[in-house]
Amino acid sequence: MSGAGMTMATPAGNRGVVCATDARAGQIEDMQITTGLGPCVDAMESGAPVLVGDLDNAADSSGLDLSRWAAFVEGVRPAGVRAVFAFPLRIGSITVGALDLYRDEPGDLTGAQVTAALLAADAAALALLHLNTDSDDAFAPDLETGADYSLHIHQATGMVSVQLGVPVAEALLRLRARAFANGQTLSEIAAEVVARRIRFTAEDR
Amino acid sequence: MTDSGAGAVPSAVDMPRDSVLADTFVMLADTLVDDYDVVEFLQRLAGACVHLLGATAAGLLLADQRGGLAVVASSSEETRLLEVFQLQSNEGPCLDCVSSGAPVVCSDLDDEKQRWPRFVPVAADAGFRAVVAVPMRLRSEVVGGLNLFYATPQAGFVPDQRLAQALADVATIGILQQRASHRSLVLVEQLQQALNSRVTIEQAKGVLAERHSIDMDAAFASIRHYARNHNEKLTKVALAVVGGDLDPVSA
Repeated sequence: MSGAGMTMATPAGNRGVVCATDARAGQIEDMQITTGLGPCVDAMESGAPVLVGDLDNAADSSGLDLSRWAAFVEGVRPAGVRAVFAFPLRIGSITVGALDLYRDEPGDLTGAQVTAALLAADAAALALLHLNTDSDDAFAPDLETGADYSLHIHQATGMVSVQLGVPVAEALLRLRARAFANGQTLSEIAAEVVARRIRFTAEDR
Repeated sequence: MTDSGAGAVPSAVDMPRDSVLADTFVMLADTLVDDYDVVEFLQRLAGACVHLLGATAAGLLLADQRGGLAVVASSSEETRLLEVFQLQSNEGPCLDCVSSGAPVVCSDLDDEKQRWPRFVPVAADAGFRAVVAVPMRLRSEVVGGLNLFYATPQAGFVPDQRLAQALADVATIGILQQRASHRSLVLVEQLQQALNSRVTIEQAKGVLAERHSIDMDAAFASIRHYARNHNEKLTKVALAVVGGDLDPVSA
């Protein structure tokens, strides 16, 4: 990979560059925020990665129509950027941003690279989620890394958001914080919530 | 929960099997129109598997491409059933099937306690005694598994593996959606989107379950019912529920 950048989306819809490994990575993020178009924007909005192995022959190589991103491609191509891989930082309905990887050489990602990128995106999503929520005591160290697709965790997130009257993003952080405080895993506390054995109340806010 | 709404799986009880089979494939093909909802499609497919293959329950698990498996659709939303499916992210017939790329047939789970020490007791608690898992394959890659559970041991069990495999293949086609492309990465994109859709739906189920003191089954049914009646995608309805813009239970 030649470089990487990360963009964060706030609940209000504002977007900003969080970090970039070099000037070109920064440019890739900036271009998309400015024009509101590009692979990272599409990834954030659709929840699916957008993987373009060759910006010069996107229609052939990826079956993608890049005409919507013409300004983006024209902006980054002269700098030598040839391939862009955007991964959404999303947990269901919670959108926190996108992770962009770029390369000077054309070519698709390998399976191992996809796995590594998805794991990095999971970790980044959790980290940005903490940054994104303006509650000071919600931070819980990550006992578990990576995405957990156990369905009851997400059901519990929805339940806690109603119990506390907060957005699901914050509800997920509350669950994680409580799990940490109790020395439980997120999965364990979520199971208790779904079974209606515990509820979150205003004091938990 | 029985679902008799539009798009319900034809009943295997009153019709010859060939007609049921034909009707099911027509129903699935009808779902594969422009801009359909992947989770809804897979949900219907899971229902069809129960009817056509005589299973007690059916589930579809996708490789999360991080080394685990994630439930994306199930013939029932009963929490305990989902748990049994999901447990296989670590151990069980579906995981073995996905890792090997070959079907796994277990006619009596009692005989497999050593092979799957954690999975067997949980499956037994949930009332299951026999299991079949067939891989969902795209060319050389295994993208997930179709998992069938039976309530009774199936002595001399020979499930219709050709039909099970055909249904698993249809599921794979459904995930690839409308983007007919030969590049391998389209699969990554579609799998991740399907998984994320499912997470959104779970969050919405939680919101409705809490707000109306109903169970997850009923919460899911209300989302599905609303989506069908308003011709909208499940995921879109779920997003509106989580965002507080829609309540399909009161609607």
